[in-house]
Amino acid sequence: MLFRILEVYARPDFPEKLWQHVLLSLAALLVAIAIALPVAILIRNTRLGAAIAINIGNVGRAVPSLAILALALPLLGIGFASALVALTALAIPPILINASTGLREVNRDVIDAARGMGLSGGQILSRIQLPIAAPVIFAGIRTSAVQTVASATLATFIGGGGLGDLIVEGYSRRGPEILLAGAIAVAILAIITEVGFGALERAFTPKGLKIAQKRGK
Amino acid sequence: MSDLALLLQDVLEEPKLIDWEWIGENFWEDIVPAFQGHIFLSFVSVAVALVIALPVGVFSARYRKAYPPVTFVTGILYSIPSLALFAILISIPGVAIGPAPVIIALVAYSLLILIRNTVAGLDSVPPETIDAARGMGLTNRQILFRVELPLALPVIVAGIRIATVTIIGIATIGAYINGGGLGQLIFDGISRQFPTMIIAGAVLATVLAIIADLLLLALERYLRPWARARRT
Amino acid sequence: MIEFRQVGKTYPGSQSPVVTDLSFEVLEGEICVLVGPSGCGKTTTMRMVNRLIEITEGEILIDGEPNTAMSATRLRRKIGYAIQQIGLFPHRTIADNIGTVPHLLGWNKDRIRDRVDELLELVGLPPDEYRDRYPAELSGGQQQRVGVARALAADPPIMLMDEPFGAVDPITRERLQDEFLRIQEDIKKTIVFVTHDIDEAIKMGNKIAILKQGGVLAQYDTPENILSKPDSEFVSSFVGADRVLKRLSLTRVGEMDLEQANGGTAGLPRISGRMTARAALSELLGAGQSSAVVEMDGENRLLTFEAIEALTSGAEQSA
Repeated sequence: MLFRILEVYARPDFPEKLWQHVLLSLAALLVAIAIALPVAILIRNTRLGAAIAINIGNVGRAVPSLAILALALPLLGIGFASALVALTALAIPPILINASTGLREVNRDVIDAARGMGLSGGQILSRIQLPIAAPVIFAGIRTSAVQTVASATLATFIGGGGLGDLIVEGYSRRGPEILLAGAIAVAILAIITEVGFGALERAFTPKGLKIAQKRGK
Repeated sequence: MSDLALLLQDVLEEPKLIDWEWIGENFWEDIVPAFQGHIFLSFVSVAVALVIALPVGVFSARYRKAYPPVTFVTGILYSIPSLALFAILISIPGVAIGPAPVIIALVAYSLLILIRNTVAGLDSVPPETIDAARGMGLTNRQILFRVELPLALPVIVAGIRIATVTIIGIATIGAYINGGGLGQLIFDGISRQFPTMIIAGAVLATVLAIIADLLLLALERYLRPWARARRT
Repeated sequence: MIEFRQVGKTYPGSQSPVVTDLSFEVLEGEICVLVGPSGCGKTTTMRMVNRLIEITEGEILIDGEPNTAMSATRLRRKIGYAIQQIGLFPHRTIADNIGTVPHLLGWNKDRIRDRVDELLELVGLPPDEYRDRYPAELSGGQQQRVGVARALAADPPIMLMDEPFGAVDPITRERLQDEFLRIQEDIKKTIVFVTHDIDEAIKMGNKIAILKQGGVLAQYDTPENILSKPDSEFVSSFVGADRVLKRLSLTRVGEMDLEQANGGTAGLPRISGRMTARAALSELLGAGQSSAVVEMDGENRLLTFEAIEALTSGAEQSA
């Protein structure tokens, strides 16, 4: 059985499906960051804006992934592009929530000291708020990345391609080795994403904050 | 705004997108059973997950050495994309009977968050409170049930909320392996190329998830009166 | 030097002003302490100097020019700012923290590094040990010193300090106060210092401005005058019923004019010239004696009740 699974990976269309899956996930994630992060930055100082963003994020997190992907079908048609739009929408909430919360939770006294010393608003954002909020923002990106890789499996149902194709093929043609090959590939991809982004998160945590975390400050 | 209204009007009137007649005809035959089936799946899965997660959580909170391996295993289960896990479970002979694989998968997904929140909730109980209880003569069992769990409840309910919403979402995918539920409407709609079914299933699943989220959020806030007064 | 001209502040939508018609001058090289009960607008007043809060009436002049003559950001880079919560940037090293304003002003790296080391020495933190540490590794008292060093970094002529020693225990606070006074003897900055503690005000201030509710100036004078000639019921009760004793803490025994001791000093307590007259009085009472021996300039001198009393005689008016 194991051998037959490995044979699936040797298929000529496997690299293509793998690449589709990675591309879908990555593109959706990057666009989601490009949308969510600026929004979080813009509303960082307003209480109403932050409340709206967090509520949108919370509702967005509750929505079933399949529902959004399926809705893309009648509204946008089948294919890679529709799947991309749906996945981007799904990827936004965790990033928006974390970026928004992270920026607003930067210690008010630190910001007051920075203002009093003569840093401009933009300098406070780039030198103080973003670096300090970076760990929380990255945690949100990591959550979104893992979630997106998982949801991209479902893209197969609207013709978006990806590793989900293998699972569906294996299920409908009763080819358990194809099904398992697809399932295992996706699972490994998800775990790599989780570990990889975890490392990125640590890399982007400023050293001073790591020390503060360790000391429970 | 009027552009959006026009678009909505189009969507609602477009015979190719939503066939209201079909909905009227098949409401009791297709839609309601799907809805009921979905609630059943979700409810059973959450219940089973709690029965497993709560004792494991309490155990891990007491014997911390067990916590990392428990987190590791449930974390791996959580990382496996749902369709993949369904596929793997289907391949195991003897498991693929009726809704069993779906329920097993749904339970597996929610274990991590439920256990993690149980432990976090128990951790948040102030040691002085437990100390006072012990000093008053309560047994360990009494302390657990009368002091620790009630105080840990808000955090545990927060975990239940996230788990429930996740389960409702993933249950839609379970229809693919004949699990039933609202996902059935979606998949049938896709294979029949009938948008009305897709939209009915997707919208209802979304609404169900959001309602569950809001209800449990209200419960969470109710259990945590000191947080109600806090500014966001 | 800083001049307040009929300065007032009312928040929009509010009936009562937070600061009312304040007029006084802070002379160059002096520490002016703003003190009063909570709600008296002392912190608001201080923050109007560097325009963290904008004035609604009157103006503040710095060296003759209104503080609105340049952009707020540029203004703040010329004024040192130290607050109670300190607000060190947790993600930057101590050296980076201190060097923040010099960096903004475009100093070159070497000049900044030298200045950081100089300041760390000044506040009693060995540079080699502390410059590369992070705030989370320092105790409260050490962080507070870094806060002061950071405020001094660009060598601003003016400093604003809002309860800068507030976040530590009383023993550390006293040490920090003493050290800062020692530093001020060298650097002679013009300082607006806010505190709620009248004892700190008396200790630190060359001048004290006592503020009432609504930011009304109750009295602006030297500590000595405020203690001996309080202007109003409010001031005398704010200062405390023990204000005569407080006056005694303004003078050190070593500064007093004492007679020589001519023998007969056996059995008398010995007192250091560094002790305040108030503490000396406490010693005398505790020892049950009416005089004590102080060594000054190699001689033994006699400190008596009468000598202490003489400090507080003179025009004492109660309100």
